[in-house]
Amino acid sequence: MFVRDIMTTAVITVAPDATLEQVCEIMHARNIRHLPVVEGGRLVGVITDRDVHSATSALCLTPSQPKGLVREAMAKEVKTAHALDPVEDAARTMRSLKIGCLPVLDGETLVGIITGIDLLDALLRLTGVDQPSGRIEVRLPDRPGGLARLTALIADRLLNVHSILTYPEGGQVRTVLRVNTLETRHLAEALRGAGFEVLWPVDKPWRS
Amino acid sequence: MAELIYGPSYRAYDLGPEHPFSPERQEMALDLVAALGHTVQRIEPEPATREEILTVHDEGYVRAVEALSAGEPLDDAAALGLGTPDTPVFPGIDLAVRSLVGGTLTGARLVSEGRATRVLQFGGGLHHAHPARASGFCVYNDLAVAIKHLTANGLWVSYIDIDVHHGDGVQAAFYKDDKVQTISLHESGQYLFPGTGAIHELGDGMGRGLKINLPLEPFTDAQSYLEVFEMLVPRAVEAFGPHVLVVQAGADAHFDDPLADLALTTQAYEKLYRRILDLADQFTEGRVLVTLGGGYSLHAAARVWTILYLVMNDLPVPGAIPKAWAAKWAERLGGKTAATLHDADPPYERLPNRDEIAQRNQVVAKRLIDALMPYWF
Repeated sequence: MFVRDIMTTAVITVAPDATLEQVCEIMHARNIRHLPVVEGGRLVGVITDRDVHSATSALCLTPSQPKGLVREAMAKEVKTAHALDPVEDAARTMRSLKIGCLPVLDGETLVGIITGIDLLDALLRLTGVDQPSGRIEVRLPDRPGGLARLTALIADRLLNVHSILTYPEGGQVRTVLRVNTLETRHLAEALRGAGFEVLWPVDKPWRS
Repeated sequence: MAELIYGPSYRAYDLGPEHPFSPERQEMALDLVAALGHTVQRIEPEPATREEILTVHDEGYVRAVEALSAGEPLDDAAALGLGTPDTPVFPGIDLAVRSLVGGTLTGARLVSEGRATRVLQFGGGLHHAHPARASGFCVYNDLAVAIKHLTANGLWVSYIDIDVHHGDGVQAAFYKDDKVQTISLHESGQYLFPGTGAIHELGDGMGRGLKINLPLEPFTDAQSYLEVFEMLVPRAVEAFGPHVLVVQAGADAHFDDPLADLALTTQAYEKLYRRILDLADQFTEGRVLVTLGGGYSLHAAARVWTILYLVMNDLPVPGAIPKAWAAKWAERLGGKTAATLHDADPPYERLPNRDEIAQRNQVVAKRLIDALMPYWF
């Protein structure tokens, strides 16, 4: 998954000599929190709702007025992303700097923006349910062929795997599969029979 | 007194000897009703017509079902959910499933024409079938076709789905419809098929706030289930003000069900059925159409649906099961004893995390009600 797959391309920008009042209005009207600042076709800064609040707060030593200019309140050192960056690179940059957005540049041209919300959308896409399916969760040893053996067993039963989410955990690999069947208990039983550690579905806490 | 709809043609919707959605489930229940000394008067329905199916389903999809039914090969069948291990196809499946749809539709007609108030369709409940896709044992959606008929005749419908799986197909068919409220209580999609039915699925457009989902924790017991049902369902139905209830009465939330993880008992089902009939008396002048649905423990489903029949006909629920019935079905029940209609009490030891589960269900129900409040006032 690349930045271009999740970025917003219709980017709303402001000029450095726009007023804080105008920025505030745009942010409320569009329900957004980050505005790239563009001058002469070039990205020169980013202004966030937090920048506006900080600049105009009464707690500030010399608070800006509503007619104060964007260039006074914006961040000028801007981290950017490229459309072909992997999403995880963008996420790591945003996480480590604790920033809420990355403008996306192609050369010097602003082509998009990616925000924390876009990353949440990506997470929902990775973990979400877009086909009727049941859930199987398996802990695999972190060795070659484990996942292949698991999916082969599922394929042998003519079942279709709609999605797989898999992540390392304490030297092992936790794997969540969404499979097109109501009979996940049946499948879990077969997987256990073949030696897999199935975390869901679990046995019922009563005898029946 | 309820009208009962059932026909021998229902037997034809048979997905194979190993398949859990067996027509034997309702045969065993009807046989148990008879063994208890009741004469079952039944209405034998006509199959639904192609045109009636098309009130809900896309024509391209119907053509695909018809082709497979006629034995013609189809390249993209699996993409339509057809011919999968869950929803296999066989020659004649089109007519077989139209027979079930016809039963539910007949029930809807009895209600819309004022010829009956309480109707029990002893089959159907194919709530996973989508307008252009088969899923989860379901090819055509009998409930959606029946609901379409009711709304076309000016009746607003509150659909209550107590099957353990989310009623996704019915919800999808009416997601933007302001004449149909859907309420589904199910084991959370986080754990169980089909994966949907989260509290944020509230409907779109004119239907916003009318699609209601209460996902429950695995191993939810009877007390917790009935508690959250009571928190949510009466208020929701009252807020909408329907003319008729349509109920998918799957029996697979029973603790003995082999496919799912809730822990209801026959006693809980009896209470639930009585409560649903109360709601019909209170809000729809008694008008209610009930279908069967999931329920894959033969031992549990036969008893649960017998209780459904008795309650809907205002008959007493006796203690003992006739020995002759138990003997007749002993082999099919695989050694499970069936001496009493109700489960043993208590049916199982208290679950170690019972209170945590109940509390979590309460929190989810409250969140859902908070999300619905703006639409209720």
